[in-house]
Amino acid sequence: MKKLLLIAIVLRLLVSAFLFHPDIKTYNFQASFLKKGVVNIYSYLITNKATLPLKDEFVYFPLTYFILGGYQMVTSGILGSGFDSWLADAGAGSVVNNQNIFKYLAILKFPYLILDIGIAFLLLNYFKDRKKGEKAFILWLFNPFTILIIYAFSNIDIFSVLLTLIAFLFIKREKLWKASVFLGLACCFKLYPLLFIPFLFLKGKDLKEKILVSLIPIFILGAVILPFWSPAFVQSALISGLTTRIFNPGFSIGFGESIIVGFFILSALFFYGWLTDKKNNLFNYWTVFLLLIFSFSHFHVAWLLWIAPFMVILAIKKPSLSLPIFILSALAIAIPMFYQDRSMTISLFRIYTTWYDLLPTPFVVLQKLYDPYNFMSVLHSTLAGGSLIISYHILKKEEEEW
Amino acid sequence: MKKMIWFTTISILFMLFIMPAIMASLIKMTPADDQPGYGPRRLSIYGINELSQKFISKEKNLTAIGTTVKNPNLKNKKEVVLDLYDANSNLIRKSILNGFNIGDGDFVKFVFDAIPDSQNKEYSLTLSSPTAAADEIIEVFLMDNTANGIIEYTFAEETHQGGIPMVTFHKPENKWEIIKEVYSNWLSKLLSPHSRKTE
Repeated sequence: MKKLLLIAIVLRLLVSAFLFHPDIKTYNFQASFLKKGVVNIYSYLITNKATLPLKDEFVYFPLTYFILGGYQMVTSGILGSGFDSWLADAGAGSVVNNQNIFKYLAILKFPYLILDIGIAFLLLNYFKDRKKGEKAFILWLFNPFTILIIYAFSNIDIFSVLLTLIAFLFIKREKLWKASVFLGLACCFKLYPLLFIPFLFLKGKDLKEKILVSLIPIFILGAVILPFWSPAFVQSALISGLTTRIFNPGFSIGFGESIIVGFFILSALFFYGWLTDKKNNLFNYWTVFLLLIFSFSHFHVAWLLWIAPFMVILAIKKPSLSLPIFILSALAIAIPMFYQDRSMTISLFRIYTTWYDLLPTPFVVLQKLYDPYNFMSVLHSTLAGGSLIISYHILKKEEEEW
Repeated sequence: MKKMIWFTTISILFMLFIMPAIMASLIKMTPADDQPGYGPRRLSIYGINELSQKFISKEKNLTAIGTTVKNPNLKNKKEVVLDLYDANSNLIRKSILNGFNIGDGDFVKFVFDAIPDSQNKEYSLTLSSPTAAADEIIEVFLMDNTANGIIEYTFAEETHQGGIPMVTFHKPENKWEIIKEVYSNWLSKLLSPHSRKTE
């Protein structure tokens, strides 16, 4: 096990250092203002937009800013004096040609490694059967999907994913209060765990507990975001395109009204849990909800991490589903690769050479043979169909203990 | 589980160490330099308003010239022509694009058959859109300084130092040359003393 863990860490460090997604530089540039004493990053960025080399808004929640900024403070001695000028460098070529880029990326992504390994150990202890736990541990460490999603795309969602998994483990042990605290903390990094609250409500033993465990995450989130509440915060983080995209898909029912697919799924699962499934197995609802959300929305590749630990648990619990899960995971990660965004594919390798800028993206290559949007639709429809059947399998086995 | 361990390890190592070579082998031409910076000054090209520019090719196998072109409101749907002349004003290459394919602010490459002995030779290019009317202009930017072997430009019968921020592209002798160059660039950064110690 130790040897495997070592290999897993080496693989992660290599991907961390050699693949570069520009997002990591952008949000670390923004977080670097904590060192200069800036507390409210949202209004600071908007006020100083004209003079800043990078104009993007900070789309994450305050806790992300303080964690990343604090980490930079701690590691500033290792990062060196040139680090801040690298962060502020807006040149597309000079950024990747910086001699220190490997060091910068490895250090900036190091917290993800800690959290990633933390998830592996949580999965190790998830099952009563030690052998199953070891399988989950290995499957988490040795699947190319999570390595790519976390380290190539510099996925900051890992904070929420770890905290959500801890919350889920507390639910499994019937410790709903602790679970709701961790769910609240997870919401402080990313809003999506908020969507699990209706299911937490179902799990409560009586009305008082139901209300309290539902309100705790909202209170924690409120306590963290209220000091920063301003038009800048609302615009940049709370209702940013990325936060609300999950609820974009829908279909019109006439007269300006529409059915929002995300809420429809949430509502259907909530009422199913309330009226049909008396055991209220939250694993089922969280997993099915995420599976269906990815099936019916134009998801960001980073979001796939939200469901990854649950897919590992599912694959170990039901080995017959492991191959379909692998195929659907490959499909899910393939879809964003065909977006027109260069940083989904070719640009990840710009550290090797900027000559790759001359290469066409998979979208452009495909365009010469077939309509790429049609192709993506075929992939997404296949993902949706497969996810629907996996969801059916999960809900059908509701009597089982996950 | 063993299969998954092997699959993941091999696929990650393949992506990091072999994939860059595969991608490098797909590169058909390489730039001699980065594109020089440019200011807000622009020249409008249409009808008889054409731009000429002298430059020296730094490398052999000159095969394309690229620069940033504006196509305001995407109105130009006419031919955009780049003529290339040698030092004796002989037309040696011609590349024609359609304005329909030029976005507003695109980096546009005019590709032609490679000129094998182009290294350190002076050339002159002419950029025109002869059938475009005054409301179908394309615009090119002007550099503030000279760079990339650019000597001078002529527009409206006036000649000035500098010119448009162009990049010359050159066809590699073979695929291995590019692959070697990619890995040596990567390794030189990786093995640079700066990448291993704190400044």
